[in-house]
Amino acid sequence: MTNSDLKLFVEFLLNKNYTIHSPVRKNGKIVIREITDSRKFSLIKERPLYSFKNFLLPDKKTLFSTTSDENKNGNDQKLIRKQVLFGITVFDLRAVSLLSQIFEKDPYFQDIISMTLFIGQSPIPEENSFYEKYEENILEHFKFDIFIESRGDQKDFRIFTGSKHGQKMLNEFGYDDFEHIEYAGAVPEEGLSDFHKKLKEKTKLSYGSKIWKDLGKKCLGCDKCTIVCPTCFCFKIYDENNIFNDSIARVRQWDSCFNSEFSEIAGGTKFLKTMEDRIYNWYSHKFVRIPDEYNLPGCVGCGRCADVCPAGINIKDEIFKIMKFKAKKPIAKMSKFKSKTLKKPRTKKLIYEKPI
Amino acid sequence: MRNQYKTYPLIITNIESQNALVKVFTLMPEDRKNIKCATDEKKIIKCWVPGQFISISIPGFGEAPFAICSSPNPCNEFQICVQKKGGLTSKFFSMSVGDEIDFRGPYGNGFPISKLSKRNLLLIAGGLGLAPLRPLIQIIANHAAEFGKVQLFGGSREEKMMLFKNEYGAWRKNIELNLTLDIPNENWNGSTGLVTALFDKIPISKNAIAIICGPPVMFPAVIKKIKKKGMAEKNIYLLLERRMHCGVGICQHCVLVNGKYVCKDGPVFNYAELKDSPGAI
Repeated sequence: MTNSDLKLFVEFLLNKNYTIHSPVRKNGKIVIREITDSRKFSLIKERPLYSFKNFLLPDKKTLFSTTSDENKNGNDQKLIRKQVLFGITVFDLRAVSLLSQIFEKDPYFQDIISMTLFIGQSPIPEENSFYEKYEENILEHFKFDIFIESRGDQKDFRIFTGSKHGQKMLNEFGYDDFEHIEYAGAVPEEGLSDFHKKLKEKTKLSYGSKIWKDLGKKCLGCDKCTIVCPTCFCFKIYDENNIFNDSIARVRQWDSCFNSEFSEIAGGTKFLKTMEDRIYNWYSHKFVRIPDEYNLPGCVGCGRCADVCPAGINIKDEIFKIMKFKAKKPIAKMSKFKSKTLKKPRTKKLIYEKPI
Repeated sequence: MRNQYKTYPLIITNIESQNALVKVFTLMPEDRKNIKCATDEKKIIKCWVPGQFISISIPGFGEAPFAICSSPNPCNEFQICVQKKGGLTSKFFSMSVGDEIDFRGPYGNGFPISKLSKRNLLLIAGGLGLAPLRPLIQIIANHAAEFGKVQLFGGSREEKMMLFKNEYGAWRKNIELNLTLDIPNENWNGSTGLVTALFDKIPISKNAIAIICGPPVMFPAVIKKIKKKGMAEKNIYLLLERRMHCGVGICQHCVLVNGKYVCKDGPVFNYAELKDSPGAI
């Protein structure tokens, strides 16, 4: 499929009443905007600064409301519009796989997912991005409908489908030169990679070490990283009173574990007291808790947090430090564990060691 | 899809003032058929385990977790103990019998009841921490033969802050009650000082299981004290308080360093579970 074919496909989707969100270049930055004119569409092969997270997990979502019948008992399917996330990169697709697991039982998230068409693409690696290289075999673990492989200067893109819905769309559009990839579940058969297994143990082991003391001093707690992170999903639930129409809404809004009141209880006690506590909590959520709970890494390696950090914290460098961490008094059990499980040959190429 | 944030109506059937800042509310789910006990899968409110908590909400004022402070027998209504602290609890204080509020839950694990049978128990409560222990105390008071020797060590700031005073007589039949006040008044003839001071005066029963509930500052001091008295770490249970928003282990507000969620894996933890979790207590 060429760029002009893609334009026609965008036109086709618009005619089907889909709202299309796609990366566009605006004032030199890549941002996600609604596409209303197919003629102006072209596939941007870089990842946007913000992820597609808020199209699936809105920054603020009304759970219940007293205004009308619409939201009295929760979600109203009629209010959710059919949407296409056009050009979602593999980083963000990986995040969608994870969020789908976390919000498996959440009707608000699931209703939105069921109305969303995912059209993925392989991005050109950015300076700050890391993680495994894009390879065809990782696609089977992503939930997508259509995938556009756009390597380098390639003009004619290879097209894959990942769902019946994607196949149907392409057939209706009149394009049949695609390959199908059957979804094999979010978690690969071998589970966490050896790299992430090691990172998990090292993160636990390094609690209270200089790495976190230094980060605690450096971090400003501005919460920018949690906003741009495609996997950050912490939220708060509170009631909002609208005096103009005399209504009350229970809303769920993004929260950030860097906020000082995040762990505060009645009476004022806080459990994440210092910046060191908070930044360790953030890293351990990504590299310990999520891998433990879902068998998936909590970081997709997009590098957005490094792009926005005003204090210049780069997660890639920090991971490098954590991986090199050695406890002063190693626990006997731990060294046994190392020799048994961590010296397996690596199956996938990792680019942590060789930054691109 | 079932909505895990959906709340159900409750009617306030009784309000009992404990002191100027604390009231006990008796609440009854509006839909009586939804509170069938036993194994009915359709019930909204399951019979709860002592130590579990419930999420209470008042539209416009938000949601907050409250420990259930009455025993699950009877099951058609339950009580919570509310201290006036913020917006939601202040609104609570302005409500009267017959008013409607909402709830979801119950949540959490509760006390390990099966591990407590036939054992000596050491219940340690600080201030409002007596409230979550009360369902257990009520069960013990009614089924004394199921337990060994039960001691309750309770501390309050002043006499007027003591909770459930009119029930002490009934509890005393089966439980050794040791109470202390930080600031005693002239009529007080019991102990004075913090709850930790009680352990210097009163011997604790051997081979007991300790359950501690109170403000966060109390835990380290009490644990240190009872360990000195020979209490094994594996026999210490703690009920933790954390900020909670979802109640189902997603929102991350209540997480501990060891990855356990207080709402889902707690709020009752064995001390051994928390040793690898700095800052938990």
